[in-house]
Amino acid sequence: MEAIELKKILEAYDTKLDEALRLNKSPMQQLQLEKSENSTKSIQKYRIFEVVTFSLLALFLGWYIANNWEHTHLAVSGIILHFFALVALIGSIGQVVLLNQIDFSKPIVEIRKKIELVNSHGLLFVKLIFLSAPVWWSYALVGLDLFLGVDLYVHLETDFVVNYLVINSLLIIPIVWLFKKLSYNNLHITWVRKTIRVFTGAKTMKALSFLNDIEQFEN
Amino acid sequence: MKANKKKRFITTIDAHKKIIYKIVNSYCRNKEDRKDLEQEIIIQLWNAFDKYNEDYKYSTWMYRIALNVAISFYRKEKKWSVKNDFYSEDSIFSMADEDKNETQTAMDQNIKLLQEFISNLNELNKALMLLYLEGKSYEEIAEILGITKTNVATKISRLKLKIKKEFQKK
Repeated sequence: MEAIELKKILEAYDTKLDEALRLNKSPMQQLQLEKSENSTKSIQKYRIFEVVTFSLLALFLGWYIANNWEHTHLAVSGIILHFFALVALIGSIGQVVLLNQIDFSKPIVEIRKKIELVNSHGLLFVKLIFLSAPVWWSYALVGLDLFLGVDLYVHLETDFVVNYLVINSLLIIPIVWLFKKLSYNNLHITWVRKTIRVFTGAKTMKALSFLNDIEQFEN
Repeated sequence: MKANKKKRFITTIDAHKKIIYKIVNSYCRNKEDRKDLEQEIIIQLWNAFDKYNEDYKYSTWMYRIALNVAISFYRKEKKWSVKNDFYSEDSIFSMADEDKNETQTAMDQNIKLLQEFISNLNELNKALMLLYLEGKSYEEIAEILGITKTNVATKISRLKLKIKKEFQKK
């Protein structure tokens, strides 16, 4: 097929659309212009709720650390939990900022990226769960102390504590590697794709996959 | 004041309705979806009307909003729309007249093929193709999409090559 022939088809296609447009003119005066709440606004409500929740959690954990400063094991466990609460809080604040930057009159690629980053927010929580695996005892120590008033640490044998620390320290490197690997840039790797799909669901997966498309489109 | 704004908006939209129609037609496969998307685009344009930045051409501003709304709509509705036939009774082809000669029929077949090709493109390439068909300059396409002019040129030449191959296959 020659370029000129292709040009003719493209022009004919455009003319066809114009013909259809002439036949399909609906009266503009009947337009409904009521402002409807868009989905950005409803997502924003959820994210603001997250910000408030994580802020309260961070404040509470700060209070807990200060109150248990003399019990090193409880203070350290509190600091670990505080770190995760702060990461989640920063993630949620980032989302609110992104949502406020969504303006449909801005270039398509820029806006789509922001929208899909919002839609793929669930991945952050999955990553945090993976990342907190080596320190899961912190949750148990703080939880039991807070809700049942039991200090589990004093009942643990020294050998158990040492073994736990050694094994879980060794886990940190593969977990950080996994944290970095679970990204939309690595969706071409089957196990990454499957892991993300299983833990985050189809909606997040769809958003991540589109982020990948956007990146390819940009380059 | 508000009535005046509405009148101004309606006049502007009426003058550029072709843009909305083309986008709606490219991103939606059935009549009901097309109506919904058209309404959604008009509402978003109305909501943004006060914030229109005169540094840009009105059509550039409108394309950005309409395409962004269409892509969001398409991504939300895609799973339902695939069940519908693209060449349903309300498609642009049913509107053409019955008396056609052979050349016209052949051209119609080519247009159908082209529309099929466009409908199979991903959301971003579809937007690129639409802007190209509209005769927009590479510079304006780059401005609407937010990619470089060189990138626009490369992508368009790749798409044209793909279309050629597609037509040669059929």
